[in-house]
Amino acid sequence: MENIFRAVGYAILLAINIIGYWFLHSHFHFIVLVIMVLAPVFSALTALHLRSKITAQVSSDCLKGEYGVQNQESFFTIKLNNPTWWTSLDVKLLVEMGNEFFGTSGSLTFSVPVYSKKGYELKVPLVADLPGRLTLTVKRVKIKDLMGFFFLKKNMDSKGELIVLPELIKQEISDKTYFESGMLESEESSKKGNDFSDVQEIREYIPGDKLMSIHWKLSAKRDILMVKDRVSMSDKQLVVVPELCNASHYELNTILVTTYSLIHTLVKDKLNVRLMYWSKNRFEYEDVRIDYVEALDAAFAKMFYEECYKNMDEASSHMALVHPEMKSYLHVSASGGSAMVIVRENG
Amino acid sequence: MAKNKDTIKDLSLCEGIKLSKSIYETKENRLLTLLIKGFIVYLLAMGSIGFYLSALYIEYNQVLCHVVIFVMAIFSAMLYYRLLTENAGYLVVLFLFMVLVYKFRTYINSGFYAIVNITTDSAAQFFNIDIQRLYVEQIENRYVTVTFAVLFIGIVLDIFLNVYISRRMQYVTAIFAVMGLNMIPLYLVAEPDAMYTIMVLGGMAMAYVFKSGRHYSPQVSIKRDDVKFKEKGKKKKEIAYVYDIKAMINAGIIALAFVIAVVASVNAFKPKDTFNVGYKGNKYKELTMAAVSTILMDGLSGFFKMSEDVGGLESGRLGQVSTIRLDYETDLVVQFTPYNTERIYLKGFTGVKYNPYANNWTRMGEVKDTVDSFSCPEAESLKYAYEDGYPYASMAIMKIDNVESDVVYRPYYFYSADTNKRFLDITYYPRLADNTYFIKGEFYEGNAYTEADLYVPEANIEAVDMIIDQLGDPITDEDIVQSLIDFYQENYPYTIKPGKTPYRKDFVNDFLVEKKKGYCSYFASAAVLIYRRMGIPARYVEGYAIDIDQIYNGTPIEGAEFENYYSGYTELGETALVSVEVTDADAHAWVEVFNMQYGWHPVEVTPYATLEEDDQEDFWDMFADMMDDSGDTGDDAVENAMGVNKVVNKLVKNAVYGVGAIILIAILGLLGIKLFVYGKNLLLFIKADINDRLVFKYQSIIKKLRKRDKELREKLNYREQLQYLTKDIVTEQEDIEKSREKVLAILEKAGFSQDMISETEYKYVTDWCKEHL
Repeated sequence: MENIFRAVGYAILLAINIIGYWFLHSHFHFIVLVIMVLAPVFSALTALHLRSKITAQVSSDCLKGEYGVQNQESFFTIKLNNPTWWTSLDVKLLVEMGNEFFGTSGSLTFSVPVYSKKGYELKVPLVADLPGRLTLTVKRVKIKDLMGFFFLKKNMDSKGELIVLPELIKQEISDKTYFESGMLESEESSKKGNDFSDVQEIREYIPGDKLMSIHWKLSAKRDILMVKDRVSMSDKQLVVVPELCNASHYELNTILVTTYSLIHTLVKDKLNVRLMYWSKNRFEYEDVRIDYVEALDAAFAKMFYEECYKNMDEASSHMALVHPEMKSYLHVSASGGSAMVIVRENG
Repeated sequence: MAKNKDTIKDLSLCEGIKLSKSIYETKENRLLTLLIKGFIVYLLAMGSIGFYLSALYIEYNQVLCHVVIFVMAIFSAMLYYRLLTENAGYLVVLFLFMVLVYKFRTYINSGFYAIVNITTDSAAQFFNIDIQRLYVEQIENRYVTVTFAVLFIGIVLDIFLNVYISRRMQYVTAIFAVMGLNMIPLYLVAEPDAMYTIMVLGGMAMAYVFKSGRHYSPQVSIKRDDVKFKEKGKKKKEIAYVYDIKAMINAGIIALAFVIAVVASVNAFKPKDTFNVGYKGNKYKELTMAAVSTILMDGLSGFFKMSEDVGGLESGRLGQVSTIRLDYETDLVVQFTPYNTERIYLKGFTGVKYNPYANNWTRMGEVKDTVDSFSCPEAESLKYAYEDGYPYASMAIMKIDNVESDVVYRPYYFYSADTNKRFLDITYYPRLADNTYFIKGEFYEGNAYTEADLYVPEANIEAVDMIIDQLGDPITDEDIVQSLIDFYQENYPYTIKPGKTPYRKDFVNDFLVEKKKGYCSYFASAAVLIYRRMGIPARYVEGYAIDIDQIYNGTPIEGAEFENYYSGYTELGETALVSVEVTDADAHAWVEVFNMQYGWHPVEVTPYATLEEDDQEDFWDMFADMMDDSGDTGDDAVENAMGVNKVVNKLVKNAVYGVGAIILIAILGLLGIKLFVYGKNLLLFIKADINDRLVFKYQSIIKKLRKRDKELREKLNYREQLQYLTKDIVTEQEDIEKSREKVLAILEKAGFSQDMISETEYKYVTDWCKEHL
């Protein structure tokens, strides 16, 4: 409508000038007439040329290396390349944005200028509430001509990706998960000798047992020496299995945050961790060994290319069948909106 | 509506993704966008003024006007930076402007009048009419006065156009504002210089493109802010940039280049000089021309026939704007056979008594004891000579068709005429140069002249004597007559625009003492009194004067016999009967003097029209003189001669001081604003809690650093900024990364947490910033 009003207004001005020229026959009016006739043609031609040459590139830019972090600002950069001398004061970028992992998407229009010979670089600051694989696609550009009479459309499919890692919840993970998983003893052990171990059973003392294995409190109560029979896990790695269940975005987010924070803490404590998640596409487990934080980030980045599923026990249900050799693992799932980390016996 | 910073939130794009509000923190240099708007205003303001003046070939100091109007346009635009600067700045500017206008009102008025008078002159030439409705220019140096007027108009236009361009890019209003008066030269087929055409059209094109782009002004939607992006639309999610200096420059250059290219091409292929060759005109325009010429001559009253419509001069009234109406229509059609190359006078009014301050002549016949010259004893004598066979005597017949007037006009020296006022067949006895026949006294029934023909009013004696003193000592009547003619020619230039005689001033005195220039009525009226004062009987005469070129251009009448219209001595031999159309433009006033040989005979005292010399001085010479306070030259004559220029210099000097004062006050104003902002911030800082104080302090450090570091401007949060600023720091004494993280943590706590930071933390951050930033 705005364009129509502008065109009508222009036509009125043109008509006034034609009358002025007819009446006065002045050289000035003639010049104005030529300008007013040529200007829309010039404007249209420049816009057409601009449309034929303009391209778009999308790239991402994160504060933390190549990945973004949940609830922190990350950037997509849309670069419009314009090799022509022409300019446009209003180029509308129809942009689609989404989290491929969570399956959410939305669209937005940006109105930017395009410079002669340069184009334009638009930095789009985003804050992701959910971790995952963010995509930004420039689907179409609409170029307004200089006279403002029309927009020329050009379809594009310039896409950029950005991996957003879950945020790290240090405090909560040490309290909550250890408590829920009954690993206080392990923590104790870890603190003493950095030996991540599990109490398999409590039995009566057998000569030869280490003195440090004696459970002094229980022995005092029962009046007989009791020992904690430990199974060291240092040599066989800790396996963390998150459920990539997308029944609820909130719960999936909680699972991801918990898994990430748990593994991060373990890796920081110099423990070797294996991340195993169920690949719905390939119908098998993806097994990633994580020795350091960068590997954790890479593992999550890779994981975000997977497709989520609806069953909360999907990953654990296949474990006995696919990995019968595995005795136990840490299963990260969610229930009632909060995450659960449980040591699961396989089989 | 502008959004308060605190209420601006992240924009939710879909579940899990928000557009960070930091996009609204991106800034654009608004000052530069205002400069561009100021440039458009300059193009329009100076372009429109130059358009008008160049079309009418009016000279003025272009360089000075360009500079001042440009600076003022930019300055006016920059006042829009903040509401405070706009309101306070405009008040100060308007106040100073009014002071300057008051101070230089004489120059500005004279400049305006000069422009109006020149326009009127151009119109007179275009319509081929004689316009005497001219304004008095108190200062004659048009170069200077027009420059003042242009500066005045330019500054007013700067202020006016900025309201429309800087705020809303209202090009339509601007077009009508700048082109309204410029239709006048175009109507008069006067075209402007290409440069001013480019300026006007370039300014319009730039304004149009910016308006069409719709990204030109933040004031409409975002209140005086520097933000680059804003949310647009309620239903659609759109983030639109507010304005962008680079894009504006790009688009502006393209618009301007396009205009230049078109103007240059049109001028190359269809130059303005030959543009109207072969064009026959527009009949509708011609219809308006009669009305326009009437307005030019008589104003709107011309439509109501309020002025006398008599054709020619015949009222004896002097110094009024429009005692006659020059409609350029034929008043008389005169048929006669030319006999010499002298001017032929057709007398219609003879004034005997001059009435000072009433500024008119009393008609002969209305004054007691005067001799009606229409009884014409001179004609009786010449008839006698002709009939007596005097070799240089002659008799002629003239036919006058009195088309317009009720007044009877007759040539020298008529003998008889019928009583029909419309069609007259006049027999007259012309006195050719060689005819020195003495008139016969007996033909005068009484005295040849009376006391009334020698009367000089008391009120005029002083002015008349002043002139007589300068005529030298002519002895004979012929010498006296000629000495005044020579004196006029040398000292009193002819002009058709002497201006109206001021209220309550005498026409003759004002002409002789003040104006010292004028047209025929001025010269003839004063000459009559001067001759009388010197003892020569004289009268004031109005009528028509037909020059030889008009006769040559007359229409020959075929079939007419020469001898039926003329007999006796002729200087041209046998000629054809010609018909000459006499119009208001031929109206004239002259003097009749009496001597014993020729009786009452016409004397032409009006000097030949010469181009008025403009004692123009180069503006920069004047400027140099003005700035030179070396004192008196000691030469009184030079001093007096330069008197006017000294006044000019003084005023120009004051103008420079005035402009300087404006600039100084503007600077002081800006400093005051800065001081105010600083004081306000200081007060806020003192009142703020420790968290806000730390954030404020940190922000002020970053703000300073941002001014000289472009890259830092792109770093939007604490982490980015600190990482960027410490990236090159290498120190062995401390782990910079560790200390930076600590600073970051404190800053984030201060900025985003409810918890208060401690004094130690505050000190740590400030010391750290002092050391590393």
